[in-house]
Amino acid sequence: MSATLTFIRINLAKLLLLIGGISALLTWYFTTPEFGTVFNTFNTWNIDITLFTLFTGLIVICMRYFRGVREKTPGIWMFELYGLILIFAWIIMGTIYGMYSDTYQTIFLSTKITLHIAILGQLVFFMISGAYRTFRLKSLRTVAFALSAMVIIFMNIPFVQNGWAGANAFSYWLLNNPQTGGARAVVITGGIGAVVLGMRILLGLEKGPSRVTEA
Amino acid sequence: MFNYFIVEQIIRAGRAAQLLFLLVVVAAVLLALYLSKNGKQFSIRPIEGLEATREGIARCAEMGRPVLVTPGISNLTAVQSAQTVAGLTILGEVATKSFGIGVPCLTNASDQQIILASEGIIRNSLLTVGKPELYAPGKYVRWFGADQYSYAVGCTGQILEEKPGLIVFAGYFLSDVVVTGEAGTRVDAVKVGGTLGSINFLAMMCDYLMIGEELFAASVAITEDKASTATLAGQDWSKLIVLGLGILGVILYALGNQSIWFWLGV
Repeated sequence: MSATLTFIRINLAKLLLLIGGISALLTWYFTTPEFGTVFNTFNTWNIDITLFTLFTGLIVICMRYFRGVREKTPGIWMFELYGLILIFAWIIMGTIYGMYSDTYQTIFLSTKITLHIAILGQLVFFMISGAYRTFRLKSLRTVAFALSAMVIIFMNIPFVQNGWAGANAFSYWLLNNPQTGGARAVVITGGIGAVVLGMRILLGLEKGPSRVTEA
Repeated sequence: MFNYFIVEQIIRAGRAAQLLFLLVVVAAVLLALYLSKNGKQFSIRPIEGLEATREGIARCAEMGRPVLVTPGISNLTAVQSAQTVAGLTILGEVATKSFGIGVPCLTNASDQQIILASEGIIRNSLLTVGKPELYAPGKYVRWFGADQYSYAVGCTGQILEEKPGLIVFAGYFLSDVVVTGEAGTRVDAVKVGGTLGSINFLAMMCDYLMIGEELFAASVAITEDKASTATLAGQDWSKLIVLGLGILGVILYALGNQSIWFWLGV
């Protein structure tokens, strides 16, 4: 790609990002309808691009799966075949019956929900093994962490709740005060960090995702 | 006297304080950048998670295993997109470092936008280190479906199949990270994570955690670029202002004055 075209690609993306971002900001803060019109136009472009990427993604996935099935990639070709059949079955049924019809929803959910349940069942076991490693008393921090968790678990036992009227209130105090304070600190600092990251991207200091347009 | 009625006509109700604070953050960052350009040196404290990432890449080189960076289950247009962008930023930096020393950097996506962005990032990382011939579409970026648990299953499969020596969870994650994190433990991978989603699950699953803004500062810590480090100084000044406002608000609230409470639109 020529240097001029690369320059245009990089700077056009930055310009669109800048105008779109600023129009979104101004619409959020100011009541002027003109900003809203600019933002809505950019938002429509965004939806169009997203739909296009969805279509492109579908083609790429189908091509990869077709290749995998044709070459019989060891261990995974049968899953790719299953994926291909499902993709086309959903497209055909969605076109014939409509996305919100009972037939489509039943078939879609019967393949999806079973997977969800299988994974949700695993979560409990994985949480236990994860908690076993995390709650080992390695330092003062992990002691405080483990003690808080143990207190909340202990206070949620029905026998303890029946025996001591303040158990529920105490566990909720732990959750609502020390825990919420910490959680809010994470969210506030994360929010400021996100704003500054956005500024770095707009100022061209952040190289990671910007590299997408450079080749 | 200042006419609040006019402000309410121009600025949407309850957002004046937000706007003012945004301007303060922007001013702080620009001031820090200006000071940096005029010779002031800003230093950054070591971020444990990022130190571990650097060491993890070297560990992968020694063990002959790949690096896996997962940017989470969100896309580029949702509310959580800032976290995804941070994840993609980390992917770019980690990919450049790892490809530079001959370690393959793998990634995955749960959204079609992320596939395209990740493919571009990997391609350009390989170009940056002078190995464009190694790039092939779909070789380093895998897609596992837009659903949270389909992604979790796919990512788990990728981890068990590829056996990465380092897994970086950077982006938006919910309970799916319990499944993928545990799979990482099974293959003895070093796990580094940062999210604003279910950070409790990440804390449980990861060896090193990037808390709050550390996720967004990661690329700065990896590259140690002077100008980018200056923006972190501006970020820290903004945090000090928030801290001061919080303390002042609590004291005033305890004394019966709710002006800061109302001003912030709580």
